[in-house]
Amino acid sequence: MVSKNENSQSSGLKLSDQALQEQVLELPTEMSPDRDLWSGIEKAISTKSQNNFISERQEQRYKAPMAWAASVVAAVLLSWGIYTPQEASQTSGQVNVNLVAAMQQTFEQQKQSMLVSYGQPKLQTLAPEMQEQLKQLTSAQNTIKKALVAEPNNIDLLNLLRWTQQQELDLLKQLYSPQWQSI
Amino acid sequence: MDNSKVIDAQKRFTTPVEEQQEKMWIERAKQGDQQAFHLLYQQYHRRIYALCWRMLADKDSAEDVCQEVFVQLWQKINNFRGDSKFSTWLHSVATNVVLSHLRKHKNWLQRVFSIEEKQVEESAVSPDVEHSALASELDRNIAKLPERARLVFVLFAVEGYRHEEISKMLGMAVGSSKSQYHRAKTLLREWLSNEGVCDGV
Repeated sequence: MVSKNENSQSSGLKLSDQALQEQVLELPTEMSPDRDLWSGIEKAISTKSQNNFISERQEQRYKAPMAWAASVVAAVLLSWGIYTPQEASQTSGQVNVNLVAAMQQTFEQQKQSMLVSYGQPKLQTLAPEMQEQLKQLTSAQNTIKKALVAEPNNIDLLNLLRWTQQQELDLLKQLYSPQWQSI
Repeated sequence: MDNSKVIDAQKRFTTPVEEQQEKMWIERAKQGDQQAFHLLYQQYHRRIYALCWRMLADKDSAEDVCQEVFVQLWQKINNFRGDSKFSTWLHSVATNVVLSHLRKHKNWLQRVFSIEEKQVEESAVSPDVEHSALASELDRNIAKLPERARLVFVLFAVEGYRHEEISKMLGMAVGSSKSQYHRAKTLLREWLSNEGVCDGV
């Protein structure tokens, strides 16, 4: 199907529109990849259940460290509750409040750029167990931040906050980075 | 140039016997049968690889994304209800995976400023495209097109999508899809003519 405009454009040495269309129709419908792709696919699908983003095996892989992480956070917060000191330097407290805000900002930026690199996936589409793990990590971070407001000089709490933030980033990375490409 | 002949060609793809056999493989794959899924892979992977190769213009990425397509197919095959032909549905899954791959791998500069990574003048084709004995003259030139023009051309002229569908897939106006297509055609006709493929002039 060649329009008048297209015919006039194809004057001179240019290939006509119709000739291009004929070449398109002659394009091979199939091409063979150089390497065997099936072995990688087979490995990947053996660890993925159908219609679930995370297979049961993967869920198990995440559940154990997450449960451990949650218990460590709980234990530290409990001990913090028992041994809360009464006094804290106001100056260093202010510094640490700023530090916590900076840590949170860096974490949010890292998380956002990571999600962007994975095509802005909807976290709501994750398996409920994974959503729960992420929720627990967020909840732990909030509790630690509240604890830091009352006790800004506690290095352990700062480390714990950084650790839970890293746990969240690691979990997101494991959930969304395509593993079959590295097979 | 329209794409109705492409759509007709796609409709003639399988015989009724092959369709029955394919339905059986799909049902078995839905039950988790990896052997049946392997048969579907054998049936379709060359077509899907061709689609990936044309859209990405890079052999290694095409191979990786082709794998990704079949892994996603395994996960999503229960969503296929038979409303359309399996090959049509699979091609739409593959197209989405390719576009998602392209979005993920755009660098921050391209993302922020919407810069195309290839300018026509600078278009550098990877050696595997340039020297592939298997690729046709037209395929080698499609690979040289700027990304957006290439995607629109492959989706419209080769895959048979409408500009309305392409505009939604690529997040652009229908008019932009048409102008990118026109740009691709102009470049291809010029390049192919320069290479001496002027039979249709």
